[in-house]
Amino acid sequence: MGMYYSTQEVWTWWIAIYLFLGGLGGATVVTTCMTNMYVKEHKPLVLWGIVSSFVMLSLGSFLLFLHLLNKFNVIHVLNPMVLINKPDAWISWGTQFIVWMMVWSIIYALPYMLETPFFTKMPVIGTVLKLFAWLGNLSKKFHKLIGWLAVINSVGTVFYTGLLLQSFPAVALWHNPGVPLLFIVSAFSTSMAFLLLVLYLIVKREEDHALRVLYERTDVILIGVELLIIFVFFHYTTYGLESARYTAQILWNDMGWIIGFVGFGLIVPFLIELRGVTKGWGNPTPIVLAAIMVLSGGYLLRHYFMYAGVYERPYPAVNSNAHHAQLQPKTTLEPQG
Amino acid sequence: MANTPHYAMVIDLNTCVGCNACMAACAMENQTPVWKNQWRTYVHDMEIGKEGGEVRRRFLPRLCNHCDNPPCMSVCPTGATHKLDNGIVLVDDSLCMGCRACAMACPYDARLDMTNDDLEQGKGFYGELLHREHPSVDKCSFCAHRVMKGLKPACVETCVGFSRQFGDLNDPNDPVAKIVESGVAKPLMAHLGTRPNVYYISDLERAT
Repeated sequence: MGMYYSTQEVWTWWIAIYLFLGGLGGATVVTTCMTNMYVKEHKPLVLWGIVSSFVMLSLGSFLLFLHLLNKFNVIHVLNPMVLINKPDAWISWGTQFIVWMMVWSIIYALPYMLETPFFTKMPVIGTVLKLFAWLGNLSKKFHKLIGWLAVINSVGTVFYTGLLLQSFPAVALWHNPGVPLLFIVSAFSTSMAFLLLVLYLIVKREEDHALRVLYERTDVILIGVELLIIFVFFHYTTYGLESARYTAQILWNDMGWIIGFVGFGLIVPFLIELRGVTKGWGNPTPIVLAAIMVLSGGYLLRHYFMYAGVYERPYPAVNSNAHHAQLQPKTTLEPQG
Repeated sequence: MANTPHYAMVIDLNTCVGCNACMAACAMENQTPVWKNQWRTYVHDMEIGKEGGEVRRRFLPRLCNHCDNPPCMSVCPTGATHKLDNGIVLVDDSLCMGCRACAMACPYDARLDMTNDDLEQGKGFYGELLHREHPSVDKCSFCAHRVMKGLKPACVETCVGFSRQFGDLNDPNDPVAKIVESGVAKPLMAHLGTRPNVYYISDLERAT
């Protein structure tokens, strides 16, 4: 029988945003906490990093929540017992990682928030913060422990975004060990880019020069590794299973992928940041532009991964994938009888 | 576990006439959202052969494969998708939150959305007989409610060509077990490791 190849429209841009914000938010918490604990105590970085991550994760989770068919039943995955009842489901782990990452990271940032008039004078938030002043004091006492709890859950969040896709066996592009690795590298690269934007555009402290250079260097390495992983995926899809070959056809005939993601999302910022760490730039504009490109590329990667996952079936899609673009089998794949 | 049945279905593509009675029987039995062309079981009308050569028309019924290793169950975060000891994979719609991870994981396109709008529409379509209460990501249940009463699934019961046969793989005297044991019936996409329990007898290789 000839096989039919189709992409899906069950999880589209809104899941891509969820995966992007999950990866970015998780990696940003890891980077800010580790920086604050082991590189340099940096209150503004912690505040911007953790509060932004909280907003990102809230937004991403809200998008996912909006698309649930029975929103009330989300209670089952919010209950920590889900890890005992359904340890084989990555959404169970992901939900718990996200929830506890948000909780521990906010507790980690609480002492700094209580010292910052912007937060304490804010309506509602200021009142809530005062109510939790005792928790801020406790957090100060066990700051490193709480930092590590935030880091562990954040690493879990980042890791989960890739493992979620890997758990779908019918799609060659997703069901392979490269996906979690790619998503981890991409998440940390986007977090470096985001924090560089924070340091260059908001915090703007001369004393942070060494930290900015550290982030730029790290980002260059991460983008370089990401380029290598993308090449591995190019090879895997181009010379792999038939469904993977269709994925390659989709990706490498799409200017959004080639120019948008690979070009402006990886290669151009890689070159800009490489020049920055080797010869330096006179002003922050090139690095800011590169960081914006890396962030856009981070979203595009996930968007195209959702878009280009190809299912192989002996019949056309009908049900859950009712709106699938049915890719016509090539001549060589037509039913031969 | 020797006494526990292991249910499976064999579909003989040589005798399926494409009447779609199975689709209709299933829809009425299980109250699926047919108004949006979504079905627990669906019969594909396919042309087999080369352009310019001999072309034959074949019907390919498909449904949930009630896999022994169901990826839809492992990805389900609430435990709504679960497997009975008899091999039937079910969805508990009171637990399902409708994240659709199961639809993404299923290689057989067996999942369909039953939304709140569908439940409303179902009231008009199925009238007071409507027994669906919760939105969920729905699928074939091998008519477990009928099987437990000793009946066959609605699609099997209604099949005019006896194309669909339902039986117990653990009973060596069951005709379905004998067909599967003989190797004449093959599952779809077994290479994915899902161990499906719907088997097909095909003469498609003779269609040229």
